[in-house]
Amino acid sequence: GVFAHLALLEARAYEAAVKQEETEQQEEKLARLKARVQELRLQRDKLRAQVEQQEKGQLGKEGALNPAQPSAQTVLEWKMKSLKAMLQIFYLTGISGKLTKQGVCFCISTAYEGTYLDFYHLDLLTKPEVQIYRHSIPIFIPLQQIAKKYLQTDIRRFLSVLSDHLNAYVGRRYQADQLQEHFSGQIEGTLQRNSLCNLLVFNYNVSSENKTFLFKVRLLYGDPCCSLPTEAVISST
Amino acid sequence: MDNSICKVYEDEIQLLEEEIKLLTEKYEDGQQESTFFSDEEILMSINSLQKEFQGESKGNEHPSDLKARLESLETDLSFLMKFTGIQFRSHSKKTVEKTGNRTVQKHRLSGNCHSLSFQLEFQLLEMQNKESVSAVITDLSILLESGEDSDVSKFVSSTEEHGNLLTFFRSLSSYAEWYEYRRCTFLHFK
Repeated sequence: GVFAHLALLEARAYEAAVKQEETEQQEEKLARLKARVQELRLQRDKLRAQVEQQEKGQLGKEGALNPAQPSAQTVLEWKMKSLKAMLQIFYLTGISGKLTKQGVCFCISTAYEGTYLDFYHLDLLTKPEVQIYRHSIPIFIPLQQIAKKYLQTDIRRFLSVLSDHLNAYVGRRYQADQLQEHFSGQIEGTLQRNSLCNLLVFNYNVSSENKTFLFKVRLLYGDPCCSLPTEAVISST
Repeated sequence: MDNSICKVYEDEIQLLEEEIKLLTEKYEDGQQESTFFSDEEILMSINSLQKEFQGESKGNEHPSDLKARLESLETDLSFLMKFTGIQFRSHSKKTVEKTGNRTVQKHRLSGNCHSLSFQLEFQLLEMQNKESVSAVITDLSILLESGEDSDVSKFVSSTEEHGNLLTFFRSLSSYAEWYEYRRCTFLHFK
């Protein structure tokens, strides 16, 4: 009757209000986004002009960039940035580090061809004699052996030999990872390897004229400072 | 529909934000490259900050802390150069790309290792993963003094081809050291 009719009208009014609110919210959102886009475009255009000005300025005329006397803060920030950038670059050379109260903390970087991989830390004390305080060298690298041989007499040699071991290990591991990643279709089962990654065993298939041949491969890397295998045994299964 | 217009705006916002990041870095790099302050100017700045600071503490870093930080960086740098024998004379970098978690910078580096001087140019691509940053060298170009030695030029070309910057520095270190020894030995005989 009347009551039901009223209830229906109320429901419709409610729906209409909700829809109205949704539309308003949507319009508000659009307006906000549009304003943000304008703001960012202005900022971007300003920066573009600044960078262009900078590049032109560098082609010859002096004074265009730093007309005012720079503040002391600016000067020191420049120096800080310059020193930090130079120190950053050192990690590309393989040996980086910083002096500590009791000695020096070295950072050994490793790479395979152009890809830099892991960093290892070596915290050394220099008094009363050179000793290893802390390190992040993996346990399967013969650190103590190398230290016993070179640490006291020739610290550069010590780091160089250690670096050889680490780079070779990381190189072998990277190659094994790449093999798994890029040839997953041809490798049957899992690629087996030890922690030092100097022994790899896997099965791989080769297809030719609709026939698939399965081979078992065993690669041995006899030289711990080398990232190429010294022995390869391939057998058909 | 309204939703697709929203998406268009949101996409443009993201692109603009990335472009702004790149331009900001380019501008800062440019400022850094085109300025140079001598050691005296640096000392003067430290002194002037210390005088200013006597008045108020703006919550900024105390100038003697700043001075200590600068000195510590300088000692670390000079220690590394002395220890490795690698002295960098000049270094410049230009940000070429900065999108998402990828940064590509072009570097120019010159210096010497013991008595051999070198000049390098390369591109460094850095990608931020969840836990670490990966770095890859591309477009490596090396100019090394004593490049007349055919073994050395073969080594340099092969290093350039594979982007083997790390191997270059490690081998350069020992080659330069022995080059010095040979030079001294020959002088001894003259």
